[in-house]
Amino acid sequence: MNRRGGTDKSERRTVRGLTSPSAFLALMSVLLALPLAVTVTNSFMTEMEISLRYTDKLSVFDIAEGIKEKFTSIALLPNEVTLDQYAEVLVNQPSFMLLLVNSVKITLPVVLGGLVVSLLGAYGFRVWRWRFKEAVFFAYIVVMLMPLQAVLVPNYIMADILKIKDSSLYLAIILPGIFSPFGTFLLRQSMKGLPEANLEAARIDGAGEWYIFCRVVLPQMRSGIAAYMMLTFIEYWNIVEQAVIFIKDYTKEPLSVYLSRIADGRISLVFAASCVYMFPPLWMLIVGQKDLEKGIELSGIK
Amino acid sequence: MKKHVLFVIPSLAGFIVFFILPFLIALGYAFVNKPIGGAFVGLKNFIDLFHNKSYLIGLRNTFIFVGTSVPFNILLSLLAAMLINKLAGKRRELFTLVFLIPLVIPSGSMMFFWRLMFSSGGHLNGILAALGQARVKWLETNWVILIIFLWKNMGYNVVLFLAGLNNIPREYYEAAQADGANALQTFRHITAVCLMPTFLLVLIMSVINSFKVFKEVYLLMGSYPHESVYTLQHFMNNMFYSLDYQKLAAATTVFVLIITAFTQFLFKLERKVSQ
Repeated sequence: MNRRGGTDKSERRTVRGLTSPSAFLALMSVLLALPLAVTVTNSFMTEMEISLRYTDKLSVFDIAEGIKEKFTSIALLPNEVTLDQYAEVLVNQPSFMLLLVNSVKITLPVVLGGLVVSLLGAYGFRVWRWRFKEAVFFAYIVVMLMPLQAVLVPNYIMADILKIKDSSLYLAIILPGIFSPFGTFLLRQSMKGLPEANLEAARIDGAGEWYIFCRVVLPQMRSGIAAYMMLTFIEYWNIVEQAVIFIKDYTKEPLSVYLSRIADGRISLVFAASCVYMFPPLWMLIVGQKDLEKGIELSGIK
Repeated sequence: MKKHVLFVIPSLAGFIVFFILPFLIALGYAFVNKPIGGAFVGLKNFIDLFHNKSYLIGLRNTFIFVGTSVPFNILLSLLAAMLINKLAGKRRELFTLVFLIPLVIPSGSMMFFWRLMFSSGGHLNGILAALGQARVKWLETNWVILIIFLWKNMGYNVVLFLAGLNNIPREYYEAAQADGANALQTFRHITAVCLMPTFLLVLIMSVINSFKVFKEVYLLMGSYPHESVYTLQHFMNNMFYSLDYQKLAAATTVFVLIITAFTQFLFKLERKVSQ
């Protein structure tokens, strides 16, 4: 896809109005980046500063000074920079690491299992010749478009039937994730770019379907695979609804749910914990921005 | 050519077991009085559902949220995409990145920040107090939810719009310029027309994505939030705890019907527009 350059004539046309749109875009960017920036800078704050700063309860000193109400004031930069929060989160608090592992235990099987199933499915839908193939695929699309709320009850019913509702391996969450129609849809979309001639040529050379799949198709799917893995990783790393319904044991929770409750307890760790938690998807975005964009474009049905 | 089916089988089998089959079972539950050995009760579960106060509140709030968040989301992201589209190279990539960051950050990571900002003794009320205004209970309003939702979800639409804008041939703009068209005319007759298919796609995806707002509402406000932010998913969650299968099944059936009708309508519209 060719990116339209910005230094052409159409740019010059808008030169007069350029300052205000750019200012608008810059303002939007600052607002978008602010929550992230604050979370990162505050993760280097001392525990003492956090507990003093981020409470709206009045201290003895406040009362002595006659202050009646207090508001928390978010600091852009810490007074004193320290790595204590990270040390606490990563080393001294094994419970945090356990919850992080829970998130990994849910996300990794979905991403990898789903990838295998969806790649096979996508290729299958491409080469399979059957009268009702497109009708079946249409069912995939309809289910894919269902918001999570509509799919949860069916998921729950099946988990109940298969007796995996309370599975400690999160099977009730992982299995529907692996077989989610989204992966097959996305990868089939990205396989559309593969020229039929390539497959034909391999077939004429007498290559088997399995060989073609592994040697001709897969090597050209790098960007589609990356897009699928990122979109699925982001979704399951941020899991909330399924966790609320299926996970009753607090120690089994993924970090996403736990972090929302941490505010009631030890708030001094919350920034570093949040940063550790958001690092993997952020890193993926920075490394694979193009693939993610491609994935979003492909996940829109055309 | 039987081997081809083998590739589809894992995906298709899983799809049937985890989606189609339980959907049909849920549909069955919606018409009986108890899940095992129940008798057919016709539309009774649906009638009960529409007499349930929490369900109606959840349904109403969900509709209100979809109705407000979708237009805001589309307008702001279209504006952002058009501005980003004027940029090239590194700057274009960077601004797109900024819009994508909220999309990838897990909701839980931002919860403490939102609380500091919007709680009753939070930063925002502190600013209001400094201006001599009274406190506002932000966490009981839809505004906070809307702001957080837009913050998180604009990036998705920005990427779709950028792809759409990219596909508009440059010659069209050059021709318009040669004819002396002004910015508004160019937008109305070229950008808006060429962007129509993208626009409908964005509309469909925005509606679907708008249901994801429950994550934020739940994490920020818990299982029983203020009535004005109680969503359909809250109702469903609480039904899960009381194991009321019939109500759940009926609610799911209604929901699936609404979504299907809506997406079918938009697809028909899209086909008309693309012709």
